[in-house]
Amino acid sequence: MSEGVRLFSPYDGPMWDSVAEGALRLQRCDECGAFRYPPGPACPECLAMESCWTAISGRARLIAWTVFHRQYLPAYAPPVLVVAVQLEEGPLMVSNMPPESRNGLRLDAPLEVFYDRHPDGYALPRFRLAGQPPTSGLPAAAQD
Amino acid sequence: MTSAISGPTPRASCIVGVGHTDWAEDYRRVRAGEKPEDSYGYAVRAFRRALDDAGLGRQDIDGLIVGPTLATERMGEILNINPRWAGQADAVQAILQAVMAIESGMAECIALVYGNDQRSARVQYGGPQAAGGAAFLSYVYHSPWGLTSQGALYAMMFQRYRDLCGIDGDDLGQVAVAQRAWACLNPEAIMRKPITAEDYLAAPFIAEPLRLHDYCLINDGGVALILCSAERARRAAGTPVHVCGVGRSDLNVRATSLGPRLLEFYRPAQKAAAERSYAMAGLGPEDMDAVYVYDSFSPHVFFALEGFGYCPEGDAAGFIRRRGIGPGGGLPVNTGGGHLSESYMQGWNHQVEAVRQLRGGLGARQVPGCRHVHYCSDVAGKAMSLIYGI
Repeated sequence: MSEGVRLFSPYDGPMWDSVAEGALRLQRCDECGAFRYPPGPACPECLAMESCWTAISGRARLIAWTVFHRQYLPAYAPPVLVVAVQLEEGPLMVSNMPPESRNGLRLDAPLEVFYDRHPDGYALPRFRLAGQPPTSGLPAAAQD
Repeated sequence: MTSAISGPTPRASCIVGVGHTDWAEDYRRVRAGEKPEDSYGYAVRAFRRALDDAGLGRQDIDGLIVGPTLATERMGEILNINPRWAGQADAVQAILQAVMAIESGMAECIALVYGNDQRSARVQYGGPQAAGGAAFLSYVYHSPWGLTSQGALYAMMFQRYRDLCGIDGDDLGQVAVAQRAWACLNPEAIMRKPITAEDYLAAPFIAEPLRLHDYCLINDGGVALILCSAERARRAAGTPVHVCGVGRSDLNVRATSLGPRLLEFYRPAQKAAAERSYAMAGLGPEDMDAVYVYDSFSPHVFFALEGFGYCPEGDAAGFIRRRGIGPGGGLPVNTGGGHLSESYMQGWNHQVEAVRQLRGGLGARQVPGCRHVHYCSDVAGKAMSLIYGI
């Protein structure tokens, strides 16, 4: 189990466990097949309550970004490049990217997930431009 | 424009009294380390002034609506009011509720009171425990990735908008500059030093592409409004300001992951709320003499001008350049200075300014021939539209 991350609902737990294992899984509705994010008790598309945790491809496209120039959170000294991405499976997700990738950003740029460590100790899914050499991230063997 | 669903009767309810605290003086005192009042104290001060403004007494009040930071029970105790109808709501929802209560006969004369000690109490609008997170999960959910503060949500929204529309992000500065110019004509405003486009660009980024002047103030204060039926208003002092049209439309689907914000810029909700209110009032955007926009961040004004029908999608920057939204401009917007420069009263101070413009007599800040004004907001996808007239 990951340490330190705040669970906003009991449905968040399995997702963070999958991140700690280095392969993000999201709920997928048993009834209609829709992927769901953030995790929740029912499928917003069809209200079915049964779902299974399914790995994502890790591919996404860039929707929007912002650069924090002021420090709000102890773990994040500026500059922080926060992004909104659309996963290949459909859901939007907020994440971040290494600040040095900022100059290569454009809307719809293809991205890929990688797994890194939050300063508080838990694993975190982040994104980088697809096809770029890895900047940082956890070596697979070091992942929980 | 017609609606199959009937709404309240146009002009059946009016604002007959407005009051507020001394925002600039309290801002100075709080910055000096003082605590002039708590949220209830600010609310009482505003209520006393609104009653005086209306020429009414406490015994006339039979309904009470308090803002989100107050409890109806405690507020009623402090004001010594046992209402026959009560509620709690944000600024524009409070007006909608009052209109519905008056129309349905639940109450005849309603006090709407708001007080907020957000600056002296150091209320956090960013961070994993940020205010509002219980209702709007997006305010808190993304903090593991470093996303916090409502300003950053508008920064992302404006970044995408800017790149999709191919406009220069520097154009956004027109909003802060125009509203500051209005504030310079408003003795009640906190920020009264003029700023230029160069000053705007010289100020630091906070959450890029938003700069310092794109952010609202954080200050203590209170506002109160007295609403009553049009019939009852004949026995109150002064010129009643009628509620001519109301509309609301919410976008909750995919809100936490920012879907309606980033993919739709809240346009479907703005459009629906605007159409309902225009249809009820029998008016359109071309009839509005001034527009009030909930402006916690300056991009609100761009999105509102497009979504509520004042200019085509993607044209806000050009529209503002051509028409002007500041003093002397073709479409006066936030004539008191708004949240950016007058006072951050979470939409409540805009109602006061709207009423004052319709009553007239504001000197250099007066919009000539002001007969109809529009208030619109789209906080976190909850689009509200209110049309006032005399």
